[in-house]
Amino acid sequence: MTLLQVIVNGVLLGGLYACIAIGFSIIWGVMNLINLAHGSMIMLGAYITFLVTTHTGIDPFLTIPAAAAALFALGYVLQKFLINFIVQASIFMTLIFTFGLDMLMTNVNLALFTGDVRALAVPYAQQSLDVGGITLPYGRMLVFAIAIALTLSLEIFLNRTRTGRAIKATSFDRDAARLSGIDIAQTYALTFAIGAMMAGIAGSLVAVIYSFSPAMGDSFTMKAFVVVVLGGLGSVPGAIVGGIVLGIVENLASLLLDAGYRDAIGFGLLIMVLLLRPEGLLGKRFFAEVKG
Amino acid sequence: MSMRTFQSRLSRAAWALVLCGIFTFGPSLANAQDVIRFGASLSLTGRLSTEGKRVKDGYDFYVKHVNALGGIDIAGKKYKVDIVYYDDGSDTNTAVKLVEKLITEDGIKFLLGPYGSGASLPATAVAERHRLPMVIAHGASTPIYTRGFKYIFGTLNSVDQYTQPIIKMASEQKPPLKNVALINENALFPQLGIDAAASQSKELGLNVVYEEKYPTGTKDLSSQLVKMKATNPDLILAGGYTGDMILLAKQIREGGLKPKLLAYLLGPTLPGFVESLKQDAENTLEPVQWTPNLPWKDTIFGYSAMDFAKKFQAEFGYWPDYHPPQSSAALEVYHHAFQKVGSLDPEKVRDAIAKTDIMTFYGPVRFNDKGQNIAKSMSVIQIQDGKPVVVYPIKDAEAKLRLN
Repeated sequence: MTLLQVIVNGVLLGGLYACIAIGFSIIWGVMNLINLAHGSMIMLGAYITFLVTTHTGIDPFLTIPAAAAALFALGYVLQKFLINFIVQASIFMTLIFTFGLDMLMTNVNLALFTGDVRALAVPYAQQSLDVGGITLPYGRMLVFAIAIALTLSLEIFLNRTRTGRAIKATSFDRDAARLSGIDIAQTYALTFAIGAMMAGIAGSLVAVIYSFSPAMGDSFTMKAFVVVVLGGLGSVPGAIVGGIVLGIVENLASLLLDAGYRDAIGFGLLIMVLLLRPEGLLGKRFFAEVKG
Repeated sequence: MSMRTFQSRLSRAAWALVLCGIFTFGPSLANAQDVIRFGASLSLTGRLSTEGKRVKDGYDFYVKHVNALGGIDIAGKKYKVDIVYYDDGSDTNTAVKLVEKLITEDGIKFLLGPYGSGASLPATAVAERHRLPMVIAHGASTPIYTRGFKYIFGTLNSVDQYTQPIIKMASEQKPPLKNVALINENALFPQLGIDAAASQSKELGLNVVYEEKYPTGTKDLSSQLVKMKATNPDLILAGGYTGDMILLAKQIREGGLKPKLLAYLLGPTLPGFVESLKQDAENTLEPVQWTPNLPWKDTIFGYSAMDFAKKFQAEFGYWPDYHPPQSSAALEVYHHAFQKVGSLDPEKVRDAIAKTDIMTFYGPVRFNDKGQNIAKSMSVIQIQDGKPVVVYPIKDAEAKLRLN
């Protein structure tokens, strides 16, 4: 029973991990840009939810559009006016740039929101459903459902809409996309905006179930990294599978070994996947390799 | 070069020299004799910035108030007080370097402690090596005091004394709360606190039914709580810093655990805990170094603990927990030592500090030969209706203990 409970917890956590990782994955997959500021963007989303909820008293889940819109706008402006100028440069340049951006955002968050640890009290979210001895907290189930639904709708957007397909085309072959009349700079701006928006949404969900403070962003970037490598770069279903696998593996490691092995096993899994199946569980080779 | 331009350059150079003289030598000559400079490295940014700010505010409270009295009167001469601060960004290695810098570059002779045992442990070693006194206010871990150091003193109760009253309370309930579950972050201070709780539980005949540590930076404790739930604990005692403790409180509720008492090494009195958790913070316990309700009265300023709290709130904008007064007390230790020896010689001041026996608004301070303050013991607060109230020891209690 304990084992089953821990696996269920892992799956629920995995949904959130998928949502944390998907924005990171899309940006990386399309632009070959590793956005080290992803975690800071998640924190910003969390604080937007925190501020709106504490000031207006509305349900934190209803603040998701606000966090999504704010981060979408921020992401668009960042890409359009800053990152587009360096995105063609070497991976080191973009890494250094996003690292700087991360430090800037973390410290702006600290200045704006202080280092105090915050959390939201959502009484109904902490109640739980008991199914045959398995405890299912409502908040976690809701977070799982929203995370999966939004991640899947991103997949639909990428495959079924003109803009989405332009993004995908750009990720496969930038030059061919440009020749077909796609505005690359605009597509990149949109991609980064969508990635940032998903970070903002993940932030709102993080705010509901975790405690958080501005310095915590980096650990989410690391989680996103592992999930993306596990699931496959730029792949939406991959992020879901990667997230859930990581959630289950982490929880099982804490249960069967010791809490201290949680991250060791998570990162061990990362190394194994890199060795045995570098394209990720659901990844396709060309996503990562077309761009040299 | 014409003579004219040469002259003008010469006069500019002369002016520059004069200005340099004014700015570099002027103030230091004027200040050197009547200002005592303390030095501290604090976590003003980063992970521990909330706590670091409270420590700084406590130091600043003393400075502000003693300077308002005209300074410290040492052998008939008034000395103003100043503190040189550096921000270690909540990083232990940086803290060590900054203490070294305070001593070797800034010439600081009297050191104050950083925030937390993690930084205090190595920082005190730097002070000891330079044979300069360091009075720390926020290092509760016992190893700080058990290395045979001669220059290190702490104003607070050390961590082995934290859980004693809580375990005692559990054993004094009728019927006693037999099953104790212990969980802590795998870090110096929480580990020592929880280790002490484990041995205290055994001494008082309670059963430790669950004991586990989790690594720093853990974001999810649900697996641990699943295991803990199966042991049916009456008392859960958790050790870690604010973020984890808020997370733990949320996940204890989510996981459907219902202990009769839920206690934290620290948490409920820290900023954000009650505001974030609301109903889930109710009835949680924390051992505290100090509350404004305790019957202490300061001998330098004449403030009671409550006077301190009110003045502090008026000046710094928030109601103080134990961090600020504990910091102020470190400076009061120096204050009394300076006056007693009538000198600013670090060796003599160190000897006077070792013989400290004073009363402050933070409580009494008297050191044993390890530099631990043995004059006071911990109280226990419980969050009742959103406010911390003292529930133990019974003689200082403001309210009766509530069980869940």
